[in-house]
Amino acid sequence: MPGSRSLSPAEIGDRVRARFGDDVGSVEEVHGHAVVSVAPARWVDLGAFLRDDPDLSFDYFDFLSAVDRTPQGGGYEVVTHVYSTRHNQHCRMKAAVSAEDPRLATLTEVWAGANWCERETWDLFGVLFDGHPHLVKLVLSEQFEGHPLRKSFALMTREAKPWPGAVEGEEVED
Amino acid sequence: MGLMEQVSMPQPVRFLLNWGRKYSLWVMNFGLACCAIEFIAGSTSKHDFIRHGVIPFAHGPRQADLLVVAGTLTDKMAPALKRVYDQMPDPKYVISFGACSNCGGPYWDSYAVTKGVDQIVPVDVYVPGCPPRPEALLHGILKLQEKIGKEDIQEKWRAGITKPVTG
Repeated sequence: MPGSRSLSPAEIGDRVRARFGDDVGSVEEVHGHAVVSVAPARWVDLGAFLRDDPDLSFDYFDFLSAVDRTPQGGGYEVVTHVYSTRHNQHCRMKAAVSAEDPRLATLTEVWAGANWCERETWDLFGVLFDGHPHLVKLVLSEQFEGHPLRKSFALMTREAKPWPGAVEGEEVED
Repeated sequence: MGLMEQVSMPQPVRFLLNWGRKYSLWVMNFGLACCAIEFIAGSTSKHDFIRHGVIPFAHGPRQADLLVVAGTLTDKMAPALKRVYDQMPDPKYVISFGACSNCGGPYWDSYAVTKGVDQIVPVDVYVPGCPPRPEALLHGILKLQEKIGKEDIQEKWRAGITKPVTG
């Protein structure tokens, strides 16, 4: 597109920080993409800003998922990856929510594509998305109880027979 | 009560009946993962299970004699498998194809995978492998045909061994 130019991750970070100030926690560059962590209260505002700012113009919602940080003493970290088809640039936004009451506002108003991803994240991690139009199970069977991608979720088969190999991350220590 | 229940079939009749049945197996491919690709390879010209009298692909479960469960059955998919099986007319047979459908395979500790389709439908032949080669499917088919060849169809009806498991 004439006049379009990709911003560097640092430039994306600068623009976000200029707009959101201290509500933006860290701005990193990972694999050539900007990774912005934001206060949960500004989650949707950041999404709308990334989508609507003409230089950012992140019009393509790629995915949304979560990371369980409870073993490290944190809560859950919701991660969303977005892309700009106009400027060919990527951005990831993150927000940390508490382990006791994991909830975040829905992004469906900003990117409709977030709908199923948020349902899946609710299903697998138990993160509630306030204002979601239809937050019901997506991938698990209806009678399934619990959120299996939480680190605290006990796999019954492994209770009976421990994993015979190395656990991920422990190979380095051996 | 039909004739079949009243009279015991003489051996030559039984042989002929079973011979006809075992070489006319309309197959329903319940393909769930990579094993389904091996199954499809088994149906094409190189391996060609049609030469063994297995006919791909039944237009629906109501026209099928043989159900091949090829791949990873999840708990969410399990009711669909049960439904397909229940729609098939008797006498019907099931081949469990590959490690996943036999016992969960590499997903032995998964929260979402059914550890063995024999919990849902009765299985006649288990084909091991991850995934098994098409030759293994052919071997499984021969084993099934061997079984059908020895079968007493009246006994099969009476004992209700093809009766779907419930629960």
